[in-house]
Amino acid sequence: MARQQTEVRDLQEGSYVMIDDTPCQINAYSTAKPGKHGSAKARVEGRGVFDERKRNFTQPVDAKVWVPIVDRKQGQVINIDGSDMQVMDLETYETFPMRIPDGMDPSPDDEIEYLEYEDQRKVV
Amino acid sequence: MFPGAAADRNVADYVLLGAPLDVSTTFQPGTRFGPDRIRQHARTFDDFDHHTGLRFSDLGVHDGGDLHAWDDAAEYIGFLEGMLSDVRDDGALGIPIGGEHTVSLAGVRAFDPDVFVCLDAHLDLRSEYDGNPMSHATITRQALDVADRAIIVGARTGSEDEWERASENDVTVIPPDEVTAWTSELQVQSNRILDQKPAPASNPVSTSDLDLDSDSDSDSDSNSDLNLNFDWGSVFGGDVYLSVDIDGADPAFAPGTGTMEPFGLMPREMHDVVRALAPHCTGFDVVEVNDRDDGQAAALAGKLLRAFVYEHAARSE
Repeated sequence: MARQQTEVRDLQEGSYVMIDDTPCQINAYSTAKPGKHGSAKARVEGRGVFDERKRNFTQPVDAKVWVPIVDRKQGQVINIDGSDMQVMDLETYETFPMRIPDGMDPSPDDEIEYLEYEDQRKVV
Repeated sequence: MFPGAAADRNVADYVLLGAPLDVSTTFQPGTRFGPDRIRQHARTFDDFDHHTGLRFSDLGVHDGGDLHAWDDAAEYIGFLEGMLSDVRDDGALGIPIGGEHTVSLAGVRAFDPDVFVCLDAHLDLRSEYDGNPMSHATITRQALDVADRAIIVGARTGSEDEWERASENDVTVIPPDEVTAWTSELQVQSNRILDQKPAPASNPVSTSDLDLDSDSDSDSDSNSDLNLNFDWGSVFGGDVYLSVDIDGADPAFAPGTGTMEPFGLMPREMHDVVRALAPHCTGFDVVEVNDRDDGQAAALAGKLLRAFVYEHAARSE
């Protein structure tokens, strides 16, 4: 599993966390004070790395959460086929299809950067 | 737990959040006990509501407990706003239970209404109180940073500057002696909309389809002498947030509040306003209850909260 465990208190804006079993990037992190009893709570708001959906949770800061290990990789466009492109990983030389994101106009031999988590990929 | 609010958070339609903030109260403190006090004095209420035929425990209400309050009100409001935004994103209606009136700001910011309606003895239009802009006495003014207009129902006191601010076009004050008549008209307009198009409250009817003002005199039970120029379209045409400050009631009925103000509303008048407006609301709170009475303020607050949920749920089905 490309994930590691940490505590909510160690999260911060910009980092990744699994919310509802989906890798998300944190865009808001705030803490509530604990008082004499009970532990401080943190509210974490994130956006799905691959599906862009907003997700959130509020948990004690010492609760355990999973952080996905999202790889940032280099690739090269091999071929264009309609709304898809064939991309080769420049480290492993593995090739795979990717949907061309809106607003991108790739050509063969273009080098791209993409995020990868398990079998999900996204051009950045 | 608030009686009958046992729904799971993940499937709830209404999420109660205790917000026991008690930092800017200027006379009688004790709003830190408000949420629990309301829960306690709601224990005797019947689950069944004969107005709507609904049972409270069937309405998907979840009690999320209290968000422990600390003394940085701005930070607290920010955190509470985030929690209420999460509720909104889950398709539910978050209901803060105060706590001083300042907590309404979190609800207003989270639900982003067009109109802020408030049952309140005070105008709360100050820019600051004792040098503090984040005060219970500034809430309506701060709500107007989000909403386009405010309607303060039952207001009967304010500083000279507040009354001057209240005279501007974006503020309407309904004084206590006009509330009954205003509410009658509110009910007429509300029923007309609901009869015309029984839309969910979260999807208000467009006023362009309704022609709200043209034939209002044709209704026998409408009070045509009152607020002839009142813009009902602004109430029913957008998102409405209703805030119940319990001090809107006469202190004889709700003495357990921070700043009592005589010559106030009858509980029945407040009940009518809440019932009439609830189907059109996208946000609601009840605030300013403390523990300095025998439970009158808390009982009234709890009852109005339940009335809101019944009526909102009945019209949303």
